[in-house]
Amino acid sequence: MLLQQVVNGLTLGAVYTLVALGFSLVMGILGVLNLAIAELFMIGGYVGLTLVLADYPLPVAVLAAAGVAAVLGVVVEKVAYQPLRRAPPIAPLLSTLGCSVILQTVAVNIWGSDPLQLPPDLLDMRFDLGQASIGLAQVVIIAVAVLLVAILALLVQRSSVGQALRAIAENRDVARLLGVNAGRLTSAAFAISGALAGIAGVLIGLHYAAITPYVGVETGLKAIAVMVIGGTTSIWGVLLAGPLVGLVEVFSVVHGGAAFRDFAVYGLMILVLLLRPQGLLGGRAAGAQRV
Amino acid sequence: MLLSRRSLTLLAAAGVLPVARAQAQAGRLAGREIRIGAIVPSSGPFAEWGRANAATLRMVEEQVNGAGGVEGAKLKLFIYDDAARPAQAANLVRKLADDDKVLAIAGPLTSSACEVAFPVANQAKLPAISQASSKPGTAAANRPWAFRNTIDEAVLMRSALPFLKTTYKVAKAAVIYDAKDANSVSLGTRIMPEMLAEHGIALANAGNLASFNTGDIDVSAQVTALKGLNPDAVVCAADYSQAVTVIREMRRQGFVKPVIGGTPLISSAILRAAPDMPIISTATYYAGQEGEAAKRFTDAVTPVLRRTAGLPNTIEPSMYDAHMYEIVGIYLDAVRKAGITLADADLEADRGRIRGHLEHLTSYNGLSGPIHFNPDGDAVKTYFVVVGQNGRWTEKLRGCSTAGNLTC
Repeated sequence: MLLQQVVNGLTLGAVYTLVALGFSLVMGILGVLNLAIAELFMIGGYVGLTLVLADYPLPVAVLAAAGVAAVLGVVVEKVAYQPLRRAPPIAPLLSTLGCSVILQTVAVNIWGSDPLQLPPDLLDMRFDLGQASIGLAQVVIIAVAVLLVAILALLVQRSSVGQALRAIAENRDVARLLGVNAGRLTSAAFAISGALAGIAGVLIGLHYAAITPYVGVETGLKAIAVMVIGGTTSIWGVLLAGPLVGLVEVFSVVHGGAAFRDFAVYGLMILVLLLRPQGLLGGRAAGAQRV
Repeated sequence: MLLSRRSLTLLAAAGVLPVARAQAQAGRLAGREIRIGAIVPSSGPFAEWGRANAATLRMVEEQVNGAGGVEGAKLKLFIYDDAARPAQAANLVRKLADDDKVLAIAGPLTSSACEVAFPVANQAKLPAISQASSKPGTAAANRPWAFRNTIDEAVLMRSALPFLKTTYKVAKAAVIYDAKDANSVSLGTRIMPEMLAEHGIALANAGNLASFNTGDIDVSAQVTALKGLNPDAVVCAADYSQAVTVIREMRRQGFVKPVIGGTPLISSAILRAAPDMPIISTATYYAGQEGEAAKRFTDAVTPVLRRTAGLPNTIEPSMYDAHMYEIVGIYLDAVRKAGITLADADLEADRGRIRGHLEHLTSYNGLSGPIHFNPDGDAVKTYFVVVGQNGRWTEKLRGCSTAGNLTC
């Protein structure tokens, strides 16, 4: 049973890692906590599962979920971030919170409040690990989480887009003087973070074979905790913090119940903030290199 | 929402709403309004239930007024959304009492909301009947104005547990519950452990009951722990939308066991979660229920729900739609029989007369038979032990929540 709980914890950690990636990109690069990410994750899940139920191939469902969530990410940027860019940081935070409430309401009106369920036998294949087992969907989620973290880290560290994004993060005005199209790249960051959330949504929807309009809230909060624990300036940090939070959550809920679980997870976050405010893999200075 | 002539005829014939007799006595209340409030969660986690409740109420309003009202008075419903938030429900009770000046209220739906809203109804001296709350003692703690058209979960489990034990040869069971829902906490932590002991069923996870929070998508750790205990059955104290997560995870881990839970499990959605797993629950109405009144209600309301925006086109009426239908019927029965004047000056007295009528309700027939209220304010009515499997609910036992000399 211990091994099975480890598998459960690592899978849950991969789920949080996937969602935290979306938060981390915009927070780490632009310093904005886009709370709508949690609902883009939910919308992505609905879009993907709706297409899977309509017999579209899985890659099409994943791409569509990423596309819809990316477009919505840009909408959030244009509506809730761009007009408030020079306002105090609390303003875009609250406006993205407003967007998340609207997105949840839209989902309830489109898909209803009942869980959208996939047939029970979809992706039902399991691999035996002796005393434990792991499902195909769990393997896919863990693999995709690692892959996406690596791709995003390389994108930010090595590509010209990443360099431009980091330049914006350092000093937006100087970056513009150097020829960086700050507006377009900010939109791109929101789009990429939305796409990542959308992919996470459809994969997680496939794993649990169901999704509800309220799935974003709890998962989103845990993903923010993962981002903070890993370090808001570090993409790789979520890959360490995700499984850590997943394991803490699994073992605390089994031995202490749901109330103790939240105490343990958010207690860990507070502890990390107290002992290492920059997070486990975060840089020491505010302008430290991201990734 | 327009009802067909056939639907109107079916509903009138059902006899639950006192329309035909009302027409015969038209005149005494001509030109007046029967103002009744309703609190339903049209948004939030129980939006499906709330929206269906609202659609059912609109259907009733149209039917009653289409048939000439009650003794000449038109029915006017004030339907508000509390989003299943207790504070919002309490505010709405105050608004309905003071601003809308309603005679009585149908709702709120959840026990959590009732626990906060019923004291306000008591303070305002306004009759309120919940359509869904079944946490033990919720109405009893708020007498004399609080009522519930539901049966205490503890009463229902006294029939369901012996059925589970004998039918599925259950000697050991494990409990998992939603730690953020008042009714589920009561059922999972108090009622079921006591009942299991009472019926000689061992509680496999005594001292460490499994729990999760409303909205959790991952319950794999809890299910793995339950599976390790190898129980013969699982008690799932949660509403159906949360129970779906548990049941799907059980099936995913190959942990296929009978699942038993309270009335909030009854839904068509849960039947799709793991069609091969038997789900044992109790109900006072379920889609597919036999009986003339129930079938007529089902036939009339199902198409209405299915063409309502925001509801799935495959939806079936829930127990709580039936309860709402009965609650309005009971209030209209009071308007006819309790000397209600509907005059503005008599509002307080009329509310008192309705309360008196509810306390001594003797001749009202609901969808499953007569309905009375016991001294705790809970309904005395017929209930069923049902099993959900292979996509449908099947009635296995029938009982009555008898209290003293009140029977079904």
